[in-house]
Amino acid sequence: MLVFPGTNSEDETLRAVRAVGLEGELVHWSQPEKLARFDAYILPGGFAYEDRIRAGAVAAHDAVMDSVIEAAQAGKYVLGICNGAQILAEAGLVPGTGPLRRPTAAFAPNASGRFQSVHVHVKLAVDPSRVPILAGIEPGAVIPAWASHGDGRLAAPDDELARIERDGHLAFVYCDRDGTTVAAPNGSALSCAGLVNAEGNVLAIMPHPERDAWTFQHLDATRDAVRGNTEEMLAPSGGIVFFEAFARAVLAEAIA
Amino acid sequence: MTQTFAVTLTIPDNEAFTAFETLARLGIPVARVVRADIWQFEVDASAGDLAGTISSIETIHNPNKHRLAARESDRPIPGEVWVATRDEAPATLVGGRAIPGVRGVRRRTAWRLLDDSGRDVAPHELDRAIETFLCNPAFQVAITA
Repeated sequence: MLVFPGTNSEDETLRAVRAVGLEGELVHWSQPEKLARFDAYILPGGFAYEDRIRAGAVAAHDAVMDSVIEAAQAGKYVLGICNGAQILAEAGLVPGTGPLRRPTAAFAPNASGRFQSVHVHVKLAVDPSRVPILAGIEPGAVIPAWASHGDGRLAAPDDELARIERDGHLAFVYCDRDGTTVAAPNGSALSCAGLVNAEGNVLAIMPHPERDAWTFQHLDATRDAVRGNTEEMLAPSGGIVFFEAFARAVLAEAIA
Repeated sequence: MTQTFAVTLTIPDNEAFTAFETLARLGIPVARVVRADIWQFEVDASAGDLAGTISSIETIHNPNKHRLAARESDRPIPGEVWVATRDEAPATLVGGRAIPGVRGVRRRTAWRLLDDSGRDVAPHELDRAIETFLCNPAFQVAITA
């Protein structure tokens, strides 16, 4: 779990990762020498380097990202959530259609011009058999999450958007709880909530599944129905499905 | 008519320093980075003393830490690049309020890269800084002199 100055979601993401059976550790940006021994990497949410210049831009050029890029190119799994997704886009790892660190797409400022925090649902928009990092998620599965960002709108030239859609880089789209695709709350092109590279080992998702990983975090009548019942409030929620898939992929690779 | 203003910090500019560190890591021969917010106002004759109005609103210009300067041109000066959001629609409000005589407002970020003698870096180095870091062409455009 990579921590940049300004990262703020590392603890809750690490908690979700550990809950699904993985061992994880926080590694700070100044400790690139620690990265090589890990099987997979997560760039959690926050505001790396205060979003200076552009969200994710400074972190994408940080020396520690040399190690992450090298790992991604070697086929290791790399997951970016929210600010982590912005960093992966700025690093050129997603959609991964151009040279490294020459982004072809961006998670740009929301169409509203404002930071937005809203409960959302996302669904898989790619064939999961092509994307090992999402192994085991049912096609069209709906996952609840919290969108909480000021820069989450997928933006790219028209030909690049066509390529993203045609070549299967669109990993998640915003939908309602029944799985019907809806307009993105941030104005994202293609209703995009997440991007994946061609090899299926680097995934960027803007909403936070780790913030809907337990029932007490879930914005739903279910929460009120179990209010006061500590055991049920602490039970896994829909977002944990995302981390279970990630764990299946990482463990399968580690065993292989 | 367009009126253009540059707002610069009079206190240390952390964002400029962060940009300097990253550009230096990318091998750009830069010793100092100067950043400014460029505000371009589409105005009509009733706008009056726009600089005075901007100062009084204190949303884009805080006299305790900013310097406000009118620009004679609505284009960058030589050695400077403006980075803007592609297809940006002009805002109609500043700090949540309309300014009499102002029909629209656009914001850009201006960058100047200076070498160790205080001169602008060579044009090809500025171009390299734009292409590798200062501008994401997926949603931004770089405007040079």
